[in-house]
Amino acid sequence: MVLGLTPVILALCIMMGPSGIGLPDLNAEREILMLRLTRVLCGLIIGAALSCAGVVFQAILRNPLAEPYILGVSSGAGLGAAIAIVTGISAVCTYLLPLCAFIMALITLAIVYALSRNGDAPSIYGLILSGVIVSAVCSSLLMFMVSVSSIEGMHSILWWMLGNLEVSSNNILLIIGLVVVMGCLGLWSLSRELNALTLGHHMAHHLGIRVRTTIIIALLLATLVASAAVGVAGLIGFVGLIVPHIMRNLVGPDHRRLIPAAAIGGGAFLAACDALARTALAVEIPVGVITALLGGPFFLFLLKRRRPQSWLE
Amino acid sequence: MLEDISLTIHSGEMVGILGPNGAGKSTLFNIVSGILSPTTGIVKLFDTDLRRMPPRERARAIAVVPQELDIPVPYTVEEIVMMGRTASIGRFSSPTSQDRHAVERAMVYTDVADIRHRPLNELSGGERQRAIVAMVLAQEPRIILMDEATSHLDINHRLEIMQLVERLNYEEGVTVMIISHDLQMAAEFSHRLIVLHHGQIVADGVPHAVLTEETLRRVYNCDVRVCQDPQSGGLSILAAPRLPTAATGKGIHIHVVAGGGCGEATLRRLALCGYTLSCGVINRSDIDAEVGAVLGVRLALEQPFSPITREVLQTAQEMASNADALILTPVPFGTGNLVNLELLDRALTVGKPVFIAAGIGKRDYTLTRQAEQWIQTLLVRGAKPYRDVAELLTLLPAKSGQGTEMIKHKM
Repeated sequence: MVLGLTPVILALCIMMGPSGIGLPDLNAEREILMLRLTRVLCGLIIGAALSCAGVVFQAILRNPLAEPYILGVSSGAGLGAAIAIVTGISAVCTYLLPLCAFIMALITLAIVYALSRNGDAPSIYGLILSGVIVSAVCSSLLMFMVSVSSIEGMHSILWWMLGNLEVSSNNILLIIGLVVVMGCLGLWSLSRELNALTLGHHMAHHLGIRVRTTIIIALLLATLVASAAVGVAGLIGFVGLIVPHIMRNLVGPDHRRLIPAAAIGGGAFLAACDALARTALAVEIPVGVITALLGGPFFLFLLKRRRPQSWLE
Repeated sequence: MLEDISLTIHSGEMVGILGPNGAGKSTLFNIVSGILSPTTGIVKLFDTDLRRMPPRERARAIAVVPQELDIPVPYTVEEIVMMGRTASIGRFSSPTSQDRHAVERAMVYTDVADIRHRPLNELSGGERQRAIVAMVLAQEPRIILMDEATSHLDINHRLEIMQLVERLNYEEGVTVMIISHDLQMAAEFSHRLIVLHHGQIVADGVPHAVLTEETLRRVYNCDVRVCQDPQSGGLSILAAPRLPTAATGKGIHIHVVAGGGCGEATLRRLALCGYTLSCGVINRSDIDAEVGAVLGVRLALEQPFSPITREVLQTAQEMASNADALILTPVPFGTGNLVNLELLDRALTVGKPVFIAAGIGKRDYTLTRQAEQWIQTLLVRGAKPYRDVAELLTLLPAKSGQGTEMIKHKM
């Protein structure tokens, strides 16, 4: 069903835009078509990255509320982006803002991991707790930067934080696309380990999994794709939380099916939300607003209708 | 948790691990399965150092059935059982026919084949546990560790699982280690029993040799009767007759001489039976005094770290003279608290029952062993020795639930 619906959604996305609804005339409006194609592609990549990372964080932390941002990756990336904007290096070269965000996200993860380490494998609560703490520290630093920056700086930080799918150059999209595809494939290859890890660290150990190594690799890959997404598109919420749950209801909790399903579903969902954001009103709405507005009720609807047996009873 | 454990389990053995809560049974399993590394020493599995063994190889050798498994996502039974094959299936390959066969067999043997498509968290606790057992069977290990694995099962499935494990042990030579609080089941299915207590092995041998009343009393601190079934030769372990619920200590006043934390259990058990309690002389900061205060025991308190004074002893003497019986818990004696024995002495003089914990020899820290001598005199004069609280309860006077008639007074 997911596979069947996706092309339809994507076709619809291409047909929608601020300039009107309908397939653009290939000769006269070639530019518009290219623009829309890039946007849809970007939505696919970012959506896939966020929801794959969400699936993995939920599996490792064994927590239904886990999402790509739970370990402070988003706040770290946000801080990085704010630094780039305030110091003005983002104006020097377009690659620098995503790069700054990405590096800060990795630093944040390293701090969170170091804080939560307690002997061998990091405990789940240790990870979540230190994630929340580091996240709070980063957020307040971010607020500080916003408060001391100029009006223009404040505006661009705010826009970036709301999230949007406009990429400054196709090269960036290409690089991010490669990173996300490689990262998601890497996570997919860890499916069996992730399946075992949802049974708890001890049981995974008994089943022959290298628990600590797996957790480190999976966290690194998930942070990699999530922060790549955040670096380009800013903070787009809800995709990484809701799409994994929806997909788990549709295809089951086995990660060998769940990860590809989440990648496709998350991509299609974000592309569709972006199309709506561009078309719904005369002015463009930040796509993060749409994902939350649309995702929340849809999620509730699914919960009420299907009465899933999952942890969201 | 564990200290100086040296243990060899031979291939093909079926071993029961017994011991009270906190004795180190689970720690032992965690070490054997490689979750914990021993701080000193080494664990060898088929002559290989466990720490050097690759995880997948280890998983094919040793598997664990936990008491229960919290699985937050709705895997189906079949998916869970297939996870037992995690170590056998390559990263990029799908299950072979051999894998599928192992899964099918495990599901049939554990009676979960017809619920294979149901999500695990919709099932009852017993069905879920059988699915977990199926997962471990699908793992086809050489050693199975069962950590109270059958305690949530009904009697029928408990027996089935144990028979299944027994057959694996007998026919395929799978080594089995079972942690259980069901002594009778452990005795029935194990060839060898190991009893852990305070992190050390206190008994190791065939069930008949290990499950003695004496060992069980020492380890579980509770009175039991071990009987041998004349027909099957099996052992049955029964709790010793306790104070019947209908009987109560209500209205009976008992004075307890405690101190140093040794009276805690006695006070608790006596309070549970409804006795009116007083306790003293005891130091204000003593753990027994704190427990006593919580339980509503009347206390004769002395200042911390000071010898007992005449005034406080007088208070305790008044309590003791109102009491129906006196108990001396296993208190260590020094010159400071020696005068407490005067309470017992006077009680014997007026003909009150006095009960004294056995083993004073090890607790007498007075220079000239005055406490031991004094207690010997008391015992000669008619004080009753007791080994543990369970025995004490059978000796104490009690009343039937309704009336005021004394139903037991074994003086």
